[in-house]
Amino acid sequence: MTSGEKSDAEIVCLVDDDLSVLKSIQRLLASDGLSVRGFNKPKEFLAHVQTHSVPVVILDIWMEEMSGLELQAQLSRLSPGTRVIIITGCDDPAAKLTALQHGVVAFFTKPFDDDQFLTAVRGALAIHPMNERAR
Amino acid sequence: MSERDKIDKKSDERQEIADPSREEQLSLLQTITMEVAAASDLWSALDVVLRRVCEKTGWVLGQAWMPNQDGTVLDCGPVCFCSGEDGLTKFRVASEGSHFRPGVGLPGRVWQLKRSAWIEDVTQDPNFPRTKAATKVGLKAAVGIPILSGDEVIAVIEFFLQESRATNERLVKVIAAVAAQLGLVMERKRAVEELSRTNEILQSILSSMGDAVIVADKQGNFLLFNPAAERMFGKGATQTASSEWSHQYGLYLSDKVTPFPADQLPLTRSIRGEEVNNVEVFVRHDKAPQGLWTRINGRPLRGPDGELSGGVIVCRDITEIKKEEFFLFDQSRVLEMIGANASLSEVLTSLVLLMEGQADGLRCSILLLNRDGKHVRHGAAPNLPEAYVKAVDGAPIGPRNGSCGTAMYLRKQVVVKDVMTDPLWADYRKLAEICGLRACWSTPILSPHGDVLGSFAMYREETRGPQPEELRLTQIATHIAGIAIDRQRAQETLREREARISLAAESADLAFWVIYPEQNTAWMSDKGRAIYGFDSQLPLNRDLICGRVHPDERAAVHAAFDRACASIGLFESEHRLVLPYGRTRWVIARGRCLHDEHGNLLELIGVTIDVSAQKQADLQLQIQREEMSHFNRVALMGEMTASVAHELNQPLTAIANNASAARRFLQRGNIDPVLLQQLLQDMVADSQRAGEVIRGIRALVQKDKNVARSMLNLNTVIADTLRLVSSDIVLRESVVITEMDHGLPQVEAVPVQIQQVLLNLIMNALDAVQACPPAKRRIIISTRSLNGASAEVTVRDFGTGLPKDRPDKVFDHFFSTKQTGMGMGLTIVRSIIETHGGKISAENAPDRGARFFFHLPAVRGDSKSQAA
Repeated sequence: MTSGEKSDAEIVCLVDDDLSVLKSIQRLLASDGLSVRGFNKPKEFLAHVQTHSVPVVILDIWMEEMSGLELQAQLSRLSPGTRVIIITGCDDPAAKLTALQHGVVAFFTKPFDDDQFLTAVRGALAIHPMNERAR
Repeated sequence: MSERDKIDKKSDERQEIADPSREEQLSLLQTITMEVAAASDLWSALDVVLRRVCEKTGWVLGQAWMPNQDGTVLDCGPVCFCSGEDGLTKFRVASEGSHFRPGVGLPGRVWQLKRSAWIEDVTQDPNFPRTKAATKVGLKAAVGIPILSGDEVIAVIEFFLQESRATNERLVKVIAAVAAQLGLVMERKRAVEELSRTNEILQSILSSMGDAVIVADKQGNFLLFNPAAERMFGKGATQTASSEWSHQYGLYLSDKVTPFPADQLPLTRSIRGEEVNNVEVFVRHDKAPQGLWTRINGRPLRGPDGELSGGVIVCRDITEIKKEEFFLFDQSRVLEMIGANASLSEVLTSLVLLMEGQADGLRCSILLLNRDGKHVRHGAAPNLPEAYVKAVDGAPIGPRNGSCGTAMYLRKQVVVKDVMTDPLWADYRKLAEICGLRACWSTPILSPHGDVLGSFAMYREETRGPQPEELRLTQIATHIAGIAIDRQRAQETLREREARISLAAESADLAFWVIYPEQNTAWMSDKGRAIYGFDSQLPLNRDLICGRVHPDERAAVHAAFDRACASIGLFESEHRLVLPYGRTRWVIARGRCLHDEHGNLLELIGVTIDVSAQKQADLQLQIQREEMSHFNRVALMGEMTASVAHELNQPLTAIANNASAARRFLQRGNIDPVLLQQLLQDMVADSQRAGEVIRGIRALVQKDKNVARSMLNLNTVIADTLRLVSSDIVLRESVVITEMDHGLPQVEAVPVQIQQVLLNLIMNALDAVQACPPAKRRIIISTRSLNGASAEVTVRDFGTGLPKDRPDKVFDHFFSTKQTGMGMGLTIVRSIIETHGGKISAENAPDRGARFFFHLPAVRGDSKSQAA
């Protein structure tokens, strides 16, 4: 699902251990003309972020291998510039609070409104320093 | 006049008479007929004939002959006519000494031929045995004429002349006519004699017979009233109108007080022309103040023309028969009292009064032998003074204890003719004197088994022993008393037994019953009657009892009874009773057959327990359990919020995103058909996935409508359950490790319920490990086969552990270590496991945390189980 022609700065990353959800979000982003790279396993994404620049990542919270919040905590050390959008299957206020405290740009409870979600993703992409610099 | 002259003169006369004129003949006939008719008997009539014939004809001698008793010879009769010549008497003497056989001599000849015979000269006749005497007195001519009655010669008359003479037909005819007249008269006379003799016989019969005979004419005037009738009705025939007969003669209906209706009296009816058969009339008058019973038959009397002329009744005194009849009736009445369970004292009193009524001056008493066999108790003595009764009550029996005490002691009849002298009465003499008792005969009353039950005594105020009639009464009295006392004792025993059992049954809240199949009766304790809804007085039988059974189960209960009676001897049934007004009870009835020594079925005894309350409680409990179980599952759902939301949101999110993506691709018009195809397929798959999640939740949350068991592999159920709670496990930052035995035998169980068990255990474990740091939040679920006989599941956590003193306490109601817990979960878990025939227990693991393990029985490896 990666787009070879685009630079890393234009590619949105997505981590969700639910394959079906992962695919559907990838398609949604693609349908809006966004480039997306999906990861089924958090650890694969962690490996990817060490070698690539990631402007925006969309993280699911409840994953068996590693929670999205835990992943965010590691990411903030590995790639502090990456903007994080959280999507979750459970409306858990505690989790939301934790996420916001750690500087996520958006928090969505599944299922979410497609326009709001896409606007948030585009917004996150636009404010990324790499993209700001490119402009 | 010289002898010759006389003869000559007579000869002239003779000549005259020998040829009498017709008128003379007629006059002779008339004279003779009149005189004969007036004669009182045959001899005087013959006397008239002999005399008149001789006088008119001048024949010198006339004699009569009659057949002897047996009709073999003719004897010379006592009457004769002699003309007065002395010589003739010699012939008479010769005749009197003669007896002629038929055909012998003149009389025999006439007798045999039945017609007159004429002999010109008897001295020349070869068949005249009296020739010698006749020659001596000079008799020559003779004529013999038969006197016939019908065809029978009743006499022969003969006349003699002292000269020879030829047959004079006319004379013979005259005499024959006279004889014929005589025969007729005699015949009539004989008939009258006969009649009067019959009358005499009748009279003598009537006057000596025991039955009363009364004859009355059409007007009701008595024609005959024999002596028995006078005795029976107190007086003889009176000139009383028939309407007054009942009053006059004291005639009553069988109630002894209502005067017999006049128009229904037997004599009145027979005068009316009716035949009267066996009408009983009670008669009482001053000569018979006690009254007597008569049985009367009556017949109408009719003249030769068939016209009604009166009536006759024959009355028989049936007082004795009636008395016996009444006696028998009264006996049966006493027996009926026994049958109707009248009190013993009532029965015995009636019996004593009955016996006393059979003879004048007789007093009787019945004493009972105490159960100790040593003392007597008062039974019945309605006509003995109270002082006597009191003195005897409680007295000991023995060899010298009055008539009764001795009779019971010796087991045989004791006759004391005089209590004043008999040594047996030494102790009671004074008492007897006060009471005016002089003789006392006592007979022991024996049970059918020969046990002495009491005694029956007869008392007299005069010194004497019993008469045969009194012995007969005694025999009857002891027999009946024996039945009464024996029965009463048997009932007492039965009542005592029933009372004892009843008491036990009552206190145990049981219905106790006995069914007597032979008599088609039944007994039931008061509690039983209350359970079955029977009035306390209602006589019961098996059909009535079975009639209370619910119609759906009645046939089965009847069959169980029949089976018990016929073969197995035991009865057991759980069924419903339908009481009046439609109330229903659940009962359990158990019974057993009792037999006599010959193996005959005597009774079926049993108990019935009312288990309605228990049933109700069971039902209530089941409902409660179901409610709780349901509540538990709903509560579990609440605890599994994360998992539920997550499980549902995942597919829904995917669907929504796919749909949005498709819409956008379409708007942009650059959609790849292959991509669209995949997208739509994924949407279908995700909606199915969402549907399954919902189904799973519904199955858990639904009330237990379908609790059908099916074959389960517990490993699969565990995996499914873990999937259900996976989000919560993640949310709680815990780890569940499974260690499955792949050789686990299958079990038969309700899937939802087993899932409920696992959910409870897992959620509890998740709660228990929350206190630990996330890295140590471990739960291990393992399975293993217990020798293939059962499948065991262990859920082990590394949490805080169970109460140290009693880990099993966690299964109790409302026990909870959790702040929010209801304390019901594990109770429900245990109930589910036990319902499935399994067992669950809990313990603290050696190092840390708790370990719950349950096992369920493995399905036996038969094909049926496999197929299921």
